[in-house]
Amino acid sequence: MSAIDFSDPATIALLTEALMAAGVDGLEISRPDGQLRIVVAGKDGARISPPEATPHAPGLAPGSASVVVKAPMAGRFHVEHPASAAPQNLPRSVSEADIVGFVGVGHILLPLRASRSGVLTRLLAERGAPVGFGDPLFEIELQS
Amino acid sequence: MPETPEQSAAGRFDTVLIANRGEIAVRIQRACRELGLKTIAICSEADREAPYGKTADSFLCIGPSSAAKSYLNQDAILLAAHLAGAGAIHPGYGFLSENAAFADAVEKAGLIFIGPTTSSIATMGDKISAKRAMMAAGVPCVPGPDAALPDDPATIERIALEIGYPVIIKAAGGGGGRGMRVVPKADVLHEAIVLTREEARKAFGSPSLYMEKFLQHPRHIEIQVVCDDHGNAVWLGHRDCSMQRRHQKVVEEAPAPGIAPDIIQSVGLACVQACLQIGYRGVGTFEFLYEDGAFYFIEMNTRLQVEHPVTEMTSGVDIVQAQIRAAQGHVLNLNQGDVTCEGHSFECRINAEDPETFLPSAGVVTHLTLPVGPGIRVDTHIHAGYKVSPYYDSLIAKLIVHAPTRAEAMARMREALAGTEVEGISTNIPFLRALFEDGAFARGETDIHYLEQWLKLRRAA
Repeated sequence: MSAIDFSDPATIALLTEALMAAGVDGLEISRPDGQLRIVVAGKDGARISPPEATPHAPGLAPGSASVVVKAPMAGRFHVEHPASAAPQNLPRSVSEADIVGFVGVGHILLPLRASRSGVLTRLLAERGAPVGFGDPLFEIELQS
Repeated sequence: MPETPEQSAAGRFDTVLIANRGEIAVRIQRACRELGLKTIAICSEADREAPYGKTADSFLCIGPSSAAKSYLNQDAILLAAHLAGAGAIHPGYGFLSENAAFADAVEKAGLIFIGPTTSSIATMGDKISAKRAMMAAGVPCVPGPDAALPDDPATIERIALEIGYPVIIKAAGGGGGRGMRVVPKADVLHEAIVLTREEARKAFGSPSLYMEKFLQHPRHIEIQVVCDDHGNAVWLGHRDCSMQRRHQKVVEEAPAPGIAPDIIQSVGLACVQACLQIGYRGVGTFEFLYEDGAFYFIEMNTRLQVEHPVTEMTSGVDIVQAQIRAAQGHVLNLNQGDVTCEGHSFECRINAEDPETFLPSAGVVTHLTLPVGPGIRVDTHIHAGYKVSPYYDSLIAKLIVHAPTRAEAMARMREALAGTEVEGISTNIPFLRALFEDGAFARGETDIHYLEQWLKLRRAA
């Protein structure tokens, strides 16, 4: 049937990568000419691809010196802490550790950090609106 | 005056979060709308463009493409349900549908799990306790002890001898063809036990194994049941799902051809009896091996199944609606005497995979033509321009036909397959077309090994 050579290290590496991407921790292939078993080691064992960027870490928007802060989970988007009366104006300077907003579900409120220093220029989601995982929330222009 | 069950049921929930993707997300959404319920669709990043997102009342992305971080992420699903105001969660099939801990978490969050109770899932999810429950209800089981295998190799050898080789070793927590090994003779027994135990521990979190007689040429026959919370249960018919490749069903049909009505009748009633004994709620399927005129229980699926449409076609009952109504607390609106089996139905699973090697095929569907005509139904989520992602299973559509007789239903399926065109990705359609030309399949009563042998002969030719 297929001409795949399961004894080829490149094939095994590819399969291992596919297993990890799919979150599967083992594979067994039996064929008349032999058997292949791949067992992916525990969480901190062999890792082929680098861990995914944490969702709230901004990724560079293409072709510009700005980053977008994305929602780390589904929730309601808050620009200010619900208990705070002071509105946050735009644009404003922010540094890496600054909390620039929140995503909340019920009593759970997850702070969003700027993660990069720069000028917070734009809101990309409506205040108080439900947002999904990965939805863009803020744009931060990086300081050169 | 106390409320009747019907009065209290109406207020149980009005919004359903559908914790699944693909064709079944579409199917459940349709059933909800027809029942006047609002729907919440969820997705992973890979499914952001899913068409059922646009037709749902709300649509939320809950996590990255990897299923473990989205469709299997219990916390993310519960938070989404809370955020969007769901009163109930429908788990569909696969993913969290048979996860007792999830069902429990849903109920603890004050929501309704559209499925059986946590304890039913737990009892039937463990193969050993399921077998014990079935034996108690008078459902016929495969020869073998209704207890986990001990550790002592000598005792295991004695049990195998008592059953008689070949035997099959299965993980108590396994299913779907995973975590099992056939042992043809005594000298490979020990090695098989060690390997299966290791797999069971890793894959299902429990090293518990059990042993049964391995049947040589059985068919896979299953019984569909639906139950309410008020002590009513009926069986809606039986299906033959013997056309399998690597334990994955490819073609299903209802009713199973060539089985004497009085035999199936008694098995169906035993299943109903079992449901009543374990206090089962909602829809479920009892899976059996059938060999030489006898039925042997193998497992129960405590959820909606992929192949439910063939029974919908022959019974006229909307199984998804029945499941949701049961979860709402409604009294079952049919008696066993109302259940009929009209004509014959086939379902083909259209998969995005190479028709020769069966390797998954991801990519954009550049052109799509779906068959139309009397007695033809297509359950799908794809459209021209749809991107088939590599992250999930390869099912892209189910082709279902219904006709007065089995021969006419086969002819109708040939027509339906001829009228189906999917371009841009590979599908198993050419393979299904060839299968529906096969003589032995047309005569019926092919066993669960038939398809593998047919493929082998085809490759050799």
